Amino acid sequence: MRRQVFLLFVVLLSCIAPDPGHAQESKEYQLKAAFLFNFAQFVKWPTDSFTDADAPFCIGILGDDPFGAALEETVRGETINNHRLTVVRAQRMEDLKDCQIIFVCRSEEDHVGEILSQIGTRPVLTVSEVDSFARNGGDIDFYLSDGKVRFEINPQSAQRCGLRISSQLLSLGKIVKPISGGN
Amino acid sequence: MKPSLGCLSVNSKLGLKRHGRAGRIAWFGGFIVWLMATALSAQTIQLTNAPSQSPPLMPSQAPTSADNAEASTTNALAPSANAEGPNIYKTMSLTELMDQDVTSVSKEPEPLGEAPAAIQVITNDEIRRSGASSVPEALRLADNLEVAQENAYTWHISARGFNSDLSDKLLVLIDGRTVYSPLDAGVFWDLQNVMLEDIDRIEVISGPGGTLWGANAVNGVINIITKSAEDTQGWYMDGGGGTELRDFGDVRYGGTLAPNVYFRVYGTYFDRNNEVLANGAPAQDDWSQGQGGFRIDTGGPSDDKFTLQGEYYNGATGSTAVPGKDDVQSGDNVLGRWTHTLSADSDMSLQLYYDRTNLSQPELAVGFEPAGIFSDSLDTYDADFQHHFSLGDRNKITWGAGYRFTHDQNNNAPTLAFYPAPLNQSLFSTFGQDEIELLKNLHFTIGTKVEHNDYTGFEVEPSARLQWNVTPTQMLWAAVSRAVRTPSRIDHDLEEPTGLPKPFPSGVIDGTTSFTSETLIAYEVGYRAQLGNKVSGSVSAYYNDYNKLQSVTPTANSLIGGLPFYLENNLEGATDGVEVSADYQMLDWWRWHAGYDFLQENLHVKPGEVDATNGLNDTADPKHQFSIRSSMDLPQNIEFDTGLRYVDTLPTNDGHIAETVPSYFELDARLAWHVTKDLEISIVGQNLLHDQHTEYLYPGSSPTQEDIVRSVYGKIAWHF
Repeated sequence: MRRQVFLLFVVLLSCIAPDPGHAQESKEYQLKAAFLFNFAQFVKWPTDSFTDADAPFCIGILGDDPFGAALEETVRGETINNHRLTVVRAQRMEDLKDCQIIFVCRSEEDHVGEILSQIGTRPVLTVSEVDSFARNGGDIDFYLSDGKVRFEINPQSAQRCGLRISSQLLSLGKIVKPISGGN
Repeated sequence: MKPSLGCLSVNSKLGLKRHGRAGRIAWFGGFIVWLMATALSAQTIQLTNAPSQSPPLMPSQAPTSADNAEASTTNALAPSANAEGPNIYKTMSLTELMDQDVTSVSKEPEPLGEAPAAIQVITNDEIRRSGASSVPEALRLADNLEVAQENAYTWHISARGFNSDLSDKLLVLIDGRTVYSPLDAGVFWDLQNVMLEDIDRIEVISGPGGTLWGANAVNGVINIITKSAEDTQGWYMDGGGGTELRDFGDVRYGGTLAPNVYFRVYGTYFDRNNEVLANGAPAQDDWSQGQGGFRIDTGGPSDDKFTLQGEYYNGATGSTAVPGKDDVQSGDNVLGRWTHTLSADSDMSLQLYYDRTNLSQPELAVGFEPAGIFSDSLDTYDADFQHHFSLGDRNKITWGAGYRFTHDQNNNAPTLAFYPAPLNQSLFSTFGQDEIELLKNLHFTIGTKVEHNDYTGFEVEPSARLQWNVTPTQMLWAAVSRAVRTPSRIDHDLEEPTGLPKPFPSGVIDGTTSFTSETLIAYEVGYRAQLGNKVSGSVSAYYNDYNKLQSVTPTANSLIGGLPFYLENNLEGATDGVEVSADYQMLDWWRWHAGYDFLQENLHVKPGEVDATNGLNDTADPKHQFSIRSSMDLPQNIEFDTGLRYVDTLPTNDGHIAETVPSYFELDARLAWHVTKDLEISIVGQNLLHDQHTEYLYPGSSPTQEDIVRSVYGKIAWHF
């Protein structure tokens, strides 16, 4: 019996086709996409963070994208202050240098420190679902509480790069301060 | 469950195979090498980045939450079809978005970055929708557990076999406090009355957890985690009644003591009716219990978090041994925990708790010894420290140390006694674990726990685990671990005197001071995946090699049937099996869950040794077990859930007669109506397919053997 069980696993393994890379479009990520859209509306970027008046407002996704089509569907046809919204996906920070919002995926969890220092004080709103992201110098991180999406927000790290967060957004998120001695 | 052991006599022989250990290790080693080779070569072909690794298997604490946003009165049910979701959500305000429930029926499974173990998580919502009214009933929702209800207050729960009278291979914790009794190495389920509404989740790990959790987590660990006080604010009340669950009520109030300091206080009470004897006549096992408690949590942006919680309970169950009299139980406990975040990758926690359990049960006369009352008081003082940190880029280290002191005081009855009557014991433990990132999607975890206890001295429980995130939606894992079950007071100190003069036997069953730890080496593999949008599942397989299992040795040349019997370690053998679990989101509002377990057991007496029941004493497990559940969110805020289970024949041999519990199908159903956002009315039917059915019995106990009856109850629950 034991041998059959292990053989079954060998067979199963060889049948596994690599996933084509389509992320799940779960309700959770549809909601988080809507949250990102709201963040874009409730945060003010300095005027020089756009190359010109026609530049798009870019939401960048760094790492293994969990949103699937949900983010595009959410921002389709929308504008922020007359900048049309676009979504860019990349595995490297360099490819997202013109983005106003960067969502750091769970796949980049072990490189958060590097990513945040590469962004430095550029006016980029950093959002993630990595644990304690906001505490570690990011701006906003999502977590689930009792089955509902919640977010922590670090007003200091946002202010440091010239972003102004509306008090309404601050009142709905859970305010965190950076870990003493951290970035 | 009470410690009680009847007479035993030799049973018929069973032919059993021997397993060559060298062959087994070679096979498993070859599998691991193949696994790693495939993973490493796949790296050069396919650069899929895997989701980040899970935190190590840690005693989890309840998550903290945001301040409650002003909730608008949105419908609790999911909006229609997936494709329209984003278009609807983008028009919602932030407060409306924050009110959306991700864990309705249309919840997607958790991301795959989970622990390399056979772990199942029962959520608060699943407990509510199943109609479970007690912790053991809630545990039926874990596919990797065997749950057998013997009578109104006695449950036999185990993982991967050994669900006999003394279910001694499962470690159970409530918020970090162990509820495993050192008296009989098992769990008194009738004492664990957590208010179900305030449970955040129950983590059920099948497989050895010795490395992180210590001795007695041989076949599994159940971790019941209640919600933080921050998440239980405001009033909650429920009440109801029915045919078996005669009446019950729960009240809880949560508030704040200061900014970022949250508390709750609660009280719960229930009164359960008796089940029936096999002939349909009522049994004597009615059960009533009350419990009250509090919890305080600090929240907010601080690097320090504190938790303080405590409870008191008191109840009585009708004694099945001495009909007409009651077994009485009471207890209290208090636990405090401090968690300090040191830096981005490092935190530590210190936990202290005190637990007191009082039991008293009437005992029958045996031989010339009169009847009496056995009572026991157990005081436990426990301190536990843990520290996690990262070492460089690739190592996540967790280590800890703990000390537990127990003071056990018995008032022995003439026919049931433990000596010495007062006993103080100390348990020292330390553990260390390193999770190494070999490659971005290949993690190797190695660790060990070392304990020192008063009965057997040092015990070492190492474990090695490999996790390969093949793709972002598929994960393979494998593990080898060693775990031990240390002697309980029954194994070591038990005496059941007969009072007969020499040369007649002086006792029925006695523990032996030379009783040593049972050991397990477990080999496990598993696979977890999300297959497309709608299906997710997991499969685990295991081979468990046991040694020095508890056995019963009769006395040679005894005047009465081999009495006295002595508890020794003369059994060994192996079990193997497969556990399967799957979720299918058929429609947005209709979800299915299915689970299946297969188990084979081959235990035998060590060559040259003796066991009174030839190795059949320890096990009472079904070969096959499956369950199917359906959850529907219907219009008008109605929920309808049903659960069907099948349990194969149980061979129950821990008595002088081999018997079987017949296989059975049973069905539970729940219909609920959310009248308003705050008020829910539900009606639950349990065990609906038969007037009565047997789930467990002690061979030879026919007159007092009990069945579980069909029952119904109604409940009203109100938040405000």
